[in-house]
Amino acid sequence: MSAEEKIDIDLFKVVFRAMAQSDNLEIMADHLTQLLVAALEIKGCTIFVLNPEYDELEVLASFGLSTDYVQKGPLLSDKSIADTFSGKPFVIPDVKNTDKLQYPQDAQKEGIGAIVSVPINFYGKVIGAMRLYHHQVWDISDRDVDSLLVLAENIGLAMTYTRVLKALKTIRYTVDDIHDIWMLE
Amino acid sequence: MAIQKILVAYNFTHLDQKAIEFVTSTFARLDGIEITIFHAYTPVPEIETQASMVTGKLKSSLSYLSQQVMQRENEFKEITEKLAKNDLANAQIHTIFRPRKKDIASEIINLNRETKFDVIVLNRKAARVTRFFSGSVSHKILMTLKETTVCVVS
Repeated sequence: MSAEEKIDIDLFKVVFRAMAQSDNLEIMADHLTQLLVAALEIKGCTIFVLNPEYDELEVLASFGLSTDYVQKGPLLSDKSIADTFSGKPFVIPDVKNTDKLQYPQDAQKEGIGAIVSVPINFYGKVIGAMRLYHHQVWDISDRDVDSLLVLAENIGLAMTYTRVLKALKTIRYTVDDIHDIWMLE
Repeated sequence: MAIQKILVAYNFTHLDQKAIEFVTSTFARLDGIEITIFHAYTPVPEIETQASMVTGKLKSSLSYLSQQVMQRENEFKEITEKLAKNDLANAQIHTIFRPRKKDIASEIINLNRETKFDVIVLNRKAARVTRFFSGSVSHKILMTLKETTVCVVS
């Protein structure tokens, strides 16, 4: 497969508009994974959030992969494509020839040929990762990897925005619970 | 004896299976039980119809996404039909598989407004940081609903 560029401004428009249809982070992340799978004609896509306490990756959204694969076991950030957590994207063009995976046999059993992992950065810190899984060996272009980084940065922004929104809503519910006189519309 | 209405939120995970096992072991032998198994899925995003080549290509790929949703619906039907025949043969089983517009907690709360349930069975995954960003379903339901028993399986 040649390193054809597949991500362009039209795809960015579609993805950002779809994400903007909701104020819910899970729906935004689901739409991003769905659209990337459809547009890039790949097997699946997963967005992880990093748990810094346990150095584990928690699944925020996933599309195209089997439930068994997604729930195969705890994913440790220092064993599963650890390079991503230094803040840089990492490409595994062929999963049969890599020592970067924590569960290499599960990946092959799932029918995954290649993985692209990009960090989700926010304010210079890695807060998660977005991974794209191809059925076969994948020679992704540098420009597409760079475009995926931009999409991942936007997920980082959305995560922060929805966290603030959630905090505001919690305050509102708490105030509403005290007395109707404080009810906001 | 009044019918006891039970809602089970289902999302195809191992914990959901645990929640079903809890419902089976607790309610399966009782009479007058009506169980609703509920799944809300994220619908395929709406794409603007423009003459752009990429959008056109993407629209055709979106049919693949719709197929995946249909596949999930079939999987959901298979699971619930199997339950109705075996473990929960004594109870009336209803299924709801519908697109979500909001967060899962709000979908469950709205469904409870439509059909007043006596018991709601949820599960609680261990993902702590995800909950920090997207909110806790069980917490929101417990804070909002009144006069409903909520069981959380973890």
